[in-house]
Amino acid sequence: MAEPTDREDLPKATVVRPKRTRISIIWIIPILAALVAVGIAIQRIRSEGPTITIIFNAAEGIEAGKTFVKYKDVIIGRVTQVQLTSDFARVNVTVKIVKHAAPLMVEDAQFWVVKPSISITGISGLNTLLSGNYIGFQPGVSDNSWDTFGGLDEAPVITEQRGRQFVLTASDLGSLDTGSPIYYRRLQVGQVAAFDLAPDGKSVQLKIFVNAPYDKYVYPGTRFWNASGIDISLGADGLNVRTESMVALLVGGVAFDNPPELGQTEPAGPNTTFTLYRDRVAALRATDPYARRYVLYFNESLRGLAVGAPVTFLGLPAGEVSSVGLAFDAASATIRPRVVVTFSPERLLAYGNVPAEVQAFKTAMQDEQKRASVLRRLVEERGLRAQLKSGNLLTGQMYVALDYYPGAPKVKLDLRQPEIVLPVEPGTFAVLEAKLTSILDKIDKMPLEAIGRDLSKDLASLDVTLASATKLLNNADAHVVPPLKTALEDAHNTLVAVERAMNNVNTTILGPDAPAQQELRSALQDFARAARSLRVLADQLERQPSSVIRGKTDAGSGGR
Amino acid sequence: MSTQTSGHALSAAEAGLVACTTCALLSRPADAANPGDCPRCGAPLTSRQRNSIQYTWALIIAAAICYVPANVLPVLTTTAFGSVESDTIMGGVIYLYASGSWPLAIIVFVASVMIPLGKLVALAYLLITIQRGSAANSHQRTRIYVLVEFVGRWSMLDVFVDAFIVALIQLKPLMSVEPGAGVVFFMAVVVLTMVAAQTFDPRLIWDAGNNRQVQHG
Repeated sequence: MAEPTDREDLPKATVVRPKRTRISIIWIIPILAALVAVGIAIQRIRSEGPTITIIFNAAEGIEAGKTFVKYKDVIIGRVTQVQLTSDFARVNVTVKIVKHAAPLMVEDAQFWVVKPSISITGISGLNTLLSGNYIGFQPGVSDNSWDTFGGLDEAPVITEQRGRQFVLTASDLGSLDTGSPIYYRRLQVGQVAAFDLAPDGKSVQLKIFVNAPYDKYVYPGTRFWNASGIDISLGADGLNVRTESMVALLVGGVAFDNPPELGQTEPAGPNTTFTLYRDRVAALRATDPYARRYVLYFNESLRGLAVGAPVTFLGLPAGEVSSVGLAFDAASATIRPRVVVTFSPERLLAYGNVPAEVQAFKTAMQDEQKRASVLRRLVEERGLRAQLKSGNLLTGQMYVALDYYPGAPKVKLDLRQPEIVLPVEPGTFAVLEAKLTSILDKIDKMPLEAIGRDLSKDLASLDVTLASATKLLNNADAHVVPPLKTALEDAHNTLVAVERAMNNVNTTILGPDAPAQQELRSALQDFARAARSLRVLADQLERQPSSVIRGKTDAGSGGR
Repeated sequence: MSTQTSGHALSAAEAGLVACTTCALLSRPADAANPGDCPRCGAPLTSRQRNSIQYTWALIIAAAICYVPANVLPVLTTTAFGSVESDTIMGGVIYLYASGSWPLAIIVFVASVMIPLGKLVALAYLLITIQRGSAANSHQRTRIYVLVEFVGRWSMLDVFVDAFIVALIQLKPLMSVEPGAGVVFFMAVVVLTMVAAQTFDPRLIWDAGNNRQVQHG
């Protein structure tokens, strides 16, 4: 380029003092404010959860902005919008879910409106009276996240409390309902979760839920029964009244217990199916694995014997009557009572006092061969017999007693039949009846009329005899009594004389001043004196035997 | 008033003097760069507040930033009978208006929404006009500034009410009121605008009319 010229007419560049563009520290304030604001914004955006839609039949108590979705009482979402669906049939509830609950929004999650409900089993959702309804939530198990859900009309009963679900099969529902309590030893341990008719329509299936610490008491052998209302039973064992709690009394419930013969086993797995028995008695007498049925052919009336009547062994309940019926035998034209009893040796084992014995017996029972031989010996050697007994004279209830009758006629036990026939012993009532009958028969056979006739004849002659006897006595009165009187007076005089004589004797011999007495007394005194001297001598000799020879020394010096 | 004299009044700076901002004593500065202290009250003397415009800008911007969360975030979270409600300032205004108490709604709207925003806009307007060296409407602008400064002390009303309510209504578990994050930002807006009004030197408004060469910075 060219050299700079030195012309004067050109303007001279001015030197401007550089402006101090120092950035003041004050700018930290807006930067700080911006940072905080941006930070909050970012946090807001990050915490933004998904928006879901729940379709309800009715938006009862649901308000946009005020209704929350709660899970375990923790707010996981808030209703942002409530709208009718496009066909105006239902309600779309739009819910903003909080970020951390977003993973819970899976395909099978459940939503329902929680509202206060007051039923006889209790009051639930009371807090909603104040806070308004809220939407309950139950997480699902699916992995597919979802954003549109169908809301439930009713709350599902089971929230995921720990515990186990079991299935009960019952012939009918009774007074049970969802939410009916489950009792174990009168403690409420669960509830009925749901019920439904069995697929074949012939029974009812109840899903029950037993809460966690108690579910371990449900074994495969546990018995469930309907504990609704009062259970009054008038059986052979008297009047029984049983109830569970007052609530169960009013609304029904299910109770369970473990039969005493049931040992410690593994708890039942979830969804194990149990039978729901009618009542406690029926439940606890339900058959055990070692129970066997035996047939009894009685020879007496079965009146008072009902199905379910107890079977006792030596007085302890050990089974029950399974069926009461008749056996027909056309060939011999006989119809006789046939009673089938279920005998549960397991239940007897519960009475065993020595565990080792019980265990040994139990193992023996498990072996069919040994079992049969035990039974054979019991019946053939010990004389085990079944007998109908009256449990209650008032009601006439009968039961079957198995007892030993060593004097009973010997029988052979046929063990090959599927249902073993046990020998029977005539019932005490029957025996009594038979004896009474025979006595009555004998009375009946007596010729009472003839006896009566003879008796009246005899009485007539007796009358005559008595008349002559009276006459005779009158005679005696006249002729015998006066001399008898004199004789008696004489006797009296004699006795008076005798008495006087005796008094004499008394004064001379026995009286205190009687001479005989005096002499006797002095003699006795002399005798006593002699005896005393003798005793002194004896003492002297004992102390100083030598005195016999050497003469008496100074008294007392010998011993001292 | 002396509105007609606006452009011709001699200012202290033009005369090479400094007026004390504390006791208003007019004195000659010790030297032009460093005026020294007031001979009467001992306050530091400045011809114009240092970095007034920059400071005010910074505070206004900070306040403007805070104004957004102050209105977006809830100022009060009311828990009544188990239901939780969070209210923003605008939410409250709308609620008041909708429930019929429109005078109250207007008061809250003016005090809590319009005034902070108005202050921000007014200060920004003053700064922009000063930086552009505008000499017009100096009287109006001064009036605006006086208004901004006057109103500043009243805008804490909202924060006050909030603090009162939160302290009083603690009827747990029936009802309780918790302050929301919005109230903190609202307070920040009020404080920042108040400080901004303080850092703003109203004398700058007149400098443009008197002497375009006056440095502000």
